[in-house]
Order: sequence, then structure tokens, then C-alpha cells
Amino acid sequence: MQRFRDLDIGRKQLQILQSRSFFIFIVITLIFLVFSYQILRLMVLDNVNYVSQSDQNRIITVPIYPARGLIYNSEGNIIVENIVSQDLVFYGSSLLELEENLNEIKGILGEESLLWDAGEQSSKDLSINLRQAILYKDLNTSQIAKFQLEKYKWPSVQIKPSLKRLVIDDNLYSHVVGYLGPVSREEIFSSNNFKYPLNYFSGKKGLEKNYESILRGSLGYRSIEIDAYGNEIKEISRISPQRPGNLYLSINKELQLIAKNELNGRKGAIIGLDPSTGLVKVLVSSPDFNPNLFNGTSSSGELSSLLTDKESPLFNRVISGNYPPASTLKPFIGLLALENKIIDWDYSIDDKGFFQIEGEGRKYRGWKEGGHGEVNLKKAIAVSSDVFFYQLATSLTIDRLSNFLEQFGFGLISGIDLDNESSANLPTRNWKLGAVGESWFVGDTVNLGIGQGYITITPMQLALATSVIVNKGIAYKPRIVERINQNETDKEILYEVKIQDQSHWDGLQDAMEAVTNSWYGTAYNLSLSGENKIAGKTGTAQIKSLTEEGLSVREEYEEIRESISDRDHALFVGYGPIQEPKLVMVVIVENGESGSSVAAPIAQKIIDTYLRESP
Amino acid sequence: MSRNPLDYQLNSSLNKSNSSFITDPILFTAVLAILTFGLVCLYSASGQDISMVTKQGIYISLGIILMLIISSIKERYYRPFLINLFWIGLLLLIWVLFFPAQGYNTDRWIDLGPFGFQPSELVRLTLPLAVAYHLTRKDRQPDLLDWLVVLFFIALSSFLVFKQPDLGTSIIVFISGFLPVFLSGFPLSIIFAGSISLIALSPLIWMSLSEYMKGRIFTFIDPNADPLGAGWNIAQSKTAIGSGGIFGKGYLNGTQSQLDFLPESHSDFIFSVIAEEFGLVGISFLFFLYGIILYRIFVISFNANTQFSRVCSASLGFIFLIYLVINVCMVSGIFPVVGVPLPLISQGGTSIIVHLMAFGFVLSLKRVETW
Repeated sequence: MQRFRDLDIGRKQLQILQSRSFFIFIVITLIFLVFSYQILRLMVLDNVNYVSQSDQNRIITVPIYPARGLIYNSEGNIIVENIVSQDLVFYGSSLLELEENLNEIKGILGEESLLWDAGEQSSKDLSINLRQAILYKDLNTSQIAKFQLEKYKWPSVQIKPSLKRLVIDDNLYSHVVGYLGPVSREEIFSSNNFKYPLNYFSGKKGLEKNYESILRGSLGYRSIEIDAYGNEIKEISRISPQRPGNLYLSINKELQLIAKNELNGRKGAIIGLDPSTGLVKVLVSSPDFNPNLFNGTSSSGELSSLLTDKESPLFNRVISGNYPPASTLKPFIGLLALENKIIDWDYSIDDKGFFQIEGEGRKYRGWKEGGHGEVNLKKAIAVSSDVFFYQLATSLTIDRLSNFLEQFGFGLISGIDLDNESSANLPTRNWKLGAVGESWFVGDTVNLGIGQGYITITPMQLALATSVIVNKGIAYKPRIVERINQNETDKEILYEVKIQDQSHWDGLQDAMEAVTNSWYGTAYNLSLSGENKIAGKTGTAQIKSLTEEGLSVREEYEEIRESISDRDHALFVGYGPIQEPKLVMVVIVENGESGSSVAAPIAQKIIDTYLRESP
Repeated sequence: MSRNPLDYQLNSSLNKSNSSFITDPILFTAVLAILTFGLVCLYSASGQDISMVTKQGIYISLGIILMLIISSIKERYYRPFLINLFWIGLLLLIWVLFFPAQGYNTDRWIDLGPFGFQPSELVRLTLPLAVAYHLTRKDRQPDLLDWLVVLFFIALSSFLVFKQPDLGTSIIVFISGFLPVFLSGFPLSIIFAGSISLIALSPLIWMSLSEYMKGRIFTFIDPNADPLGAGWNIAQSKTAIGSGGIFGKGYLNGTQSQLDFLPESHSDFIFSVIAEEFGLVGISFLFFLYGIILYRIFVISFNANTQFSRVCSASLGFIFLIYLVINVCMVSGIFPVVGVPLPLISQGGTSIIVHLMAFGFVLSLKRVETW
């Protein structure tokens, strides 16, 4: 009985065990079915996705940045190049670690070339900029040596070479080459064929900005396999970057030096270009700046003092400065009067020293007390008779004047290969109504006749307008870059002025020759001292208008002279040599007072030097 | 402890007598095959770290020796001592809670000089053995007191492991303790009642979970919400498995593991390395070997001549299976990451040694009593 009970229990227990085991098997099998489905999905159905995901994990494409293109002057010498700068870079994301390291390093390397300041921008850089931050830029050799001795203390800090832009003659070409700056967010997003990294430098002004896409070149790429920590394992493929374009400028170093020295720190603008091509040979705006301050190694203090300087050294007066053209406008007005047959070359008036609009009491005075006497157009240009041109302008009216002057490029930008060009102001009736809120008065036209009042020009516009006279009706588009690598830039006609009688061009040139070469000319002094015969026109731009009719012109001006910044600007436009003009010059010396004795000799000297260099 | 002729009669008709040194050569061979395959995979998964493989080899050798020693002992010699083994394990569990070894993230280690040792691993072997012994010590169905006593110690053991904190092993310990209870015929009505009250208490259980455990469960629910944080492991593991395809990327060529994108590739996530490098073919082969082991264990269980042998070997077989299922479901994103190693393959000495000791018991249980 007992045995049977045991047998019974044994059977029953085995039965329970087997049925319950079966139950567990069913449960686990269900789970395993889910697992099998998941494995099939991952490994077979979605295999392609996961393969590409694992490749994305391990393969990254890194751009290779080409060294920036070089810039040469007309003599073929490098004026902007790249040099290696040894920077001290912190790799990591802990600001605390960075500052601890930096404090120790400062004790050894000192403050020189220190770039990192614990500002907000810097700590942001650390988190965004691929977890690296530049502590020192451009270490000197003794700093490098000192760091190498103790570098084991700071495993997160390394010396990393980088390329730094170097402008060789510091200030000499500042407004031509411009400068670089850290690439902006807009540039990063808007450049579709070049992938700027966050801490890259791009052109911010001058040629560096205008030719950015050529100078930066095109990217190369390498595909590398990395591990989970971003360490490079091996290179998979590489496309080399293309060599960027080098710029060869028409700017001449000798002329730059003379122009800079002659201005000698005074505010002013000098431009000289070849009228037959539009190539700019000299371009100086004073005061200037050292572009090397912008290459990332200067402290922010130096830069901000440059940006807030009241003299605005960053402002390119040649293309952006607005000046009254003063008497340099007179030849163009004379030409318009000839064209409209209001006068001919023989027409003359008696210049008594003042002009009155018919029916008005106000006297418009000429610069010379008592006047120039009997003057025709040629003499009026040579002696710069104000009264003669007061009368011409009045007869021509503002509409004809502004129409005609626009053909010479006044009020328009030239499209020179620099940035931030100004169109200055060529006034019209509508312009005055809109900008000043008054209608145009005859008196405004009278003032325009001598290049004063509402009209302003840039030195660049004046040079181009003058080259129209030299070329008898044509101005070529100004350009600084003569060729990019071996490719010459194109010579383009910018303005074409058509007049009925071509001989007027010769007459005008004659008159401008008389300015410097006839005994009564305002710049006769040049023919006595200069090596080459040049032609031109002087100008003295009033900043304060003379209105006190009770005082003589001279008496009144003596009062104004007291304040240097109220003194007249000295202007001179010229070209030479007379037979075959090779250079058109515009010289403006702010508050220089005399076009003939201050501005004109500078132009003469530059033309003489240029002809000596390239006869 | 039935030694009556009928028992013998019953069993001799089902099973052949076995007195050879290795009682189940097929099981033994399959285990050795998996161990060898595991070492080969560990070399790749560890980033070709030969010292880790050597260390693992030493553990395996130690485990095989222990397995052979246990398998050579007849069941009746160690059966009375199983309870004592369990007491030792329980004391060690309490010990680690109060005197944890330094240098580990969780308080689950005892420092043994060059090696660390996890008492929770020992308990998940000795607990089912002790439970099986306690429930089968009389020749009749266990009574209420028997059930209550074993349930108390099962709950205590898993609670101690849970406090370490080690959610994964705590679940394993609970399951491994409860399996012999279930297989011994624990009343189904109580199981139903228990499950219902467990569901009712689940909010309370959730509140008692630590942030670390909750985090893991959250990550499981939505791994993409935090792909670089806690979900990173799962995302990388799925990428590794998925990119393996049918034939795999080849031995030592798994980019996910060799380039360290796959975390814990040598321990919990070694299955993903195998899938990446050997593909669907490789893991099918692996499951085939696991299948042989499981099949042999259940053949031994169902053919055993005592209730103790049946319950023991079936429980050990299920524990092994559950390890396997939890690990592969975990690395393929079906279960949350609970830190359960792939049995016999993942790096880790205690785990392998305990698994091998379990096989030692199974092999020993196959020895038919001869008198």
C-alpha cells in the first residue's frame, strides 16, 4: 500500500513537473519568438540602415583648408603672406581645468601673446568650438622652450601650429589689402561651396574681403575612420584642396611710399590710376592702420581702440570719403556749356570779383578780391575764375548740370574691387526736395558752378571723371587686381561720354595744361619744379561758407583758419605726361588750404616717380 | 529518500545506469564548445586584450575543475549539506551590504585579493538547491509550513541583492528560488492571488526603486529620447547587431566593438559583438550549442529517479535559459538593460564558475544510485 502510494506520488510529481515545465517553455518560447522577430528585423530587414548607421559612427569627413592665397604688388614682391604661428591650445570642455592650467602656465610664460581672457565669449567658445580653446597665440621661441620643459604637467594643453596672415609692410597697403576677422555666423550659413569652421578667419575689408572666394581657395576633404572618442584610426580617402588664387596688384610700392610720406599723417586721400586701363597704381588714405593687428594675435583692447579712434583710420577716404569737388569741377561745367552752345572758346566776360543773379541783391563773391578781369573759358579754368562759372552754371540750370555730370560718374559708384564704396552726392531738384525739404534755388546752382554746396564727390569719382577728359570720352573701370594667378583681369569701359564736337576735349586739355604751365595758372609753381609737364586743376574746398558781405574774403577766412578742422581742403586733379598721359592723379589733403601749393606738388612728385620707374 | 525496489524498477526502465566519469558527454562537449567560442569572442570584444582572455581562461579552468569535482560526487553525499551552503551564501550577502569592497560601483563584491567575488551569484545557485532539498526531503507533497519557509528565504535573498543595488540579479535570484517551488507543485491558486496583489502593489514597488533603476527602465521605454546618455548603449548595441547582417563583418572586423562605440562590449553586450562579427549565421550556431545544453539538462531532469533530482536539474536548466533570454532580449532592445551577462561567454569570473558548478550538479544528478 505504502509502495503504491509512493509510486503514485512519484508519478504525480513527475506529471506536475513536466506540465509546469511545459508551461514555462511556452512562456519563454513566446519571448524568444519576439526576440527572433527583433533579430530578423535588425539583421535582415533593416540591415542596410544599421550598416549605414555604423558607418556614420566611424567614418567622418574632415575638410582640408588650403593656405590662403598670396598678394603681390606691381613689382612682383609679396605683400601679404601666411606664416606659421605656434599657438597654445587647450583641448577639453572643463572651464575649471582650463583656468587652473592657465594660471600655472601664466606663471611660466608670462602675459605676452596671451589671448584667453575669461570673458563670456571665451567660455562659450569652449563649449561650441569642438572643445578647444586657444590660450596663447603666436608664442615666441623662448616661450615655446619654457613650455616644452614642463608640458607634462598639463596633458590637455598642446602647442599647435596654425597659419597666420602677415601683411609685410604693415600700414603701407592698409586700405588696399584690408584685413581678416573671425568668420561670422552669416558667412558660415551663406557660403555653400566652402565650409567655414567656427574659428576660421575670412576677409572683412579691402581685397581680403572682395576676393575672399578666390583667396580662400577650395576645400579638400579626407575621410577618416575614428573610434568612439574621436581619435583618428586611419585615413580612408583624400581629395586634396585646390590651390587658391594669388592676387597680383597694379599697386606700386614706391608710389605708395611717396604718397604716405607726403601726407605725413595728415588726413587725406591720394589715388593714381592709369587712364588707358583703369589699373590703380597708388591708393592711400590717411590716417591708416596696421592690418596685422587683425590677425588674431592682438588683444581686444588694441582692436577696440582702433575701432573707436576719432580719426577713423579704418575709413577708406579714397572711395568712401565725400568731399566738395570745388574748382576741380569747373572743366566739366565748361564742357557742358560748350556742348550746349551757350559759349564758345572765344566767349569772354569781365570778372569783377562778384556775381549777381538778375533781380536779386545778393553778391556771390569770387575767391580773388577784385576779380580776374577779362576771362574766356581757357583762362577761367587756368585762373579758376569763380564768377565765370557762376554765370555758366546759372545759364545751364541744375537739370542739365546733374544730367551731364552723371555721365562722368558723379553720384555713381565705380565698382572698383574694394568694399564699402560711396556714391557721394550729385544733387537734383528732386533730391533736394526729398533730403532737405526745400525746392531748388538758383543760388544752389550758382554754388554748384564752383563745386560747392550740395555736391560731394569721392576722390575715386574725380579720378575717373578726369580720365574721361584724358581719354576723350571714355573711362575704364578702376581695378587694383591686375591678374589672378596667370589670368589677367578684364579691362572694361565704365563710362562713355559722347559730345558733338570732339575738338572740345583738346581745348579742355589745353586749359588744364594752362593751369600748370601758363604764368597766370593757379599751379604754375609745378612747371618750375617738376621733371615732367603735367596738366591739372586745383581746388580749394570750403568747409565753412563765407557769408559776411561786409568783410573781404581774406579777412573772413583768417577768422575761420583759427580752427584747424575748419580750414579748407586742398584738392588737385592732374595727369601726366601731357603728350601721352600715363597717370591720372587725385590728391586731397584735408584742411590743407591750398590746392596749388599743398596738393598739386604731391601729384607732380608721384607722376615724376612713376615715369622714372616705368618710362 | 526512496530506496525501495519500485523506484529502482521505475527508473531503470527509463534510464540506463551511468557510472562513467563524465555522465553526459554531449552536455559536457557542448559546454566546452561554448566556452571556447566565448574565449575567441572575448578576445575580439575586449579590444584584443590578451590579458583579459587569459584571466577568463583561468576562471574557466577553475570552473571546469569545480564542475568535474561536483559531478563526481554522488547526490546523497552532498544533499544534506545544501542547506548549509545556502546559509553561507546568505551570510555573505549580508556581509557585502555592511562591508562592501572598495572600488566598485555597487556593493555586490567581496574582495579576494586578485579577484572579486559576488555572493549574489553564489546564492542564485545555492538557493534553488536548498529550496529543492527542503521541499523534497519528505516523501510527500510539501505542506503549508514548507512553502512559507522557502518563500520567506527566497524573498529575503532577493531583497538583499536588490539592496546592493542590483535589480537584474535580484530578479534572477527570485526566479531561481521560485522555480523549484513552482516545479514542486506550488498551488496555482496562490500564484494567481500573488500575481494579482503584486500588480496592485506595483506603484509602491515603483516608488521604492532607486533613481538608477528607474532611469534604466525609462531608457528602455524610450531609448531614442536620450541617445547619447543612458540610451546610448542600446542604440549602439542595435546598430552593432543590425549592421552584422547575415554573415557578419568578420572576426575582429566589427567596427562598433573594435572602435569602442559599443560600451560594455566584453561583458553584458558581448552578444552584440558576436552578432556584428559573425552575423545571423554566428548567433544561430551559438543558439544551437545553447539548445544542446538545455535539451540534455531536461532529458536528465525528466529521466531522474528522485523528485529532488528532477526539480534540481529542471530548475538549473531554466535558470540557465532565463539568463540567456534576459541577456539577448536586453541587448536587442526588447528588455531594459538590467545587467545580466550572457551565460558562459560574458567576461566575469563568478558568473562562469557558478554556471559551471550548476552543470556539475546536473551531471552529478545523472549518476544513478547503485547499492
